[in-house]
Amino acid sequence: MQNRPTGFGNPWLQLGLSVACVFVSELLLKRGATDVAEPHSAFSWTGINGLESPLVWWAILLIVASFISWLYVLRHIPLTVAYPLSRVVDILVPLGCWIFLGELISTTRWCGIALVVIGLALVAKPVAQIEERL
Amino acid sequence: MSALAFFFIVISLLSFVMAQLILKRAMEFSRTAGLRNARFTSLAAIGTALMTVSFFLTLGLLQRFDLSYLYPFQGLSVIFITLLAAVALKENLSARLTLGAILISAGIILVSIS
Repeated sequence: MQNRPTGFGNPWLQLGLSVACVFVSELLLKRGATDVAEPHSAFSWTGINGLESPLVWWAILLIVASFISWLYVLRHIPLTVAYPLSRVVDILVPLGCWIFLGELISTTRWCGIALVVIGLALVAKPVAQIEERL
Repeated sequence: MSALAFFFIVISLLSFVMAQLILKRAMEFSRTAGLRNARFTSLAAIGTALMTVSFFLTLGLLQRFDLSYLYPFQGLSVIFITLLAAVALKENLSARLTLGAILISAGIILVSIS
């Protein structure tokens, strides 16, 4: 992590951008896949018929963007740190559904979200200390 | 869940995990050797191809199952990738990182089944 670039090239900023793109693309993919679902066709197991949905194409665009950011992240941050941190998206998605779509979150689900937050804190804290020393 | 669905879930997860490890190796390699060489290009191409396979299989699964049903399997990727990065890429894996990865996976699974 020595000599890491600053500004837009900061790998932590790129990790955030990558996560944001994945977050939006997940919601678009689910909507798109549901719109064009053909559960009775064997071909649809390949997922290729999903391309009929414009939402899927927007999601692909975001996935490509997140992929480029992610490759950049991989260049600078160890996978054992970067990948667990990228899973912050797994709490953003249910929280997004709660805030934007008015869906209810059960007690069990809140517990799950709490576990992810504790896990993320465990992974992120040593990283923050390393950054401070630099 | 049918055996066929389970098969596609496992293949999708496996190709995703392999893709992350291969892409990490490609990007590590590019730090010293740059982007214009055969080894980087082939690793990046294999990694991207595996990501694409995983993407389309997931899209096929999403047509049949709820996102919340498929998510626990994605949650397991945190444990697989963290452990394999330590084994295959020789990254440092502290007890703290391992515990963090396990808690994140457990949390994702709890969110999905609730």
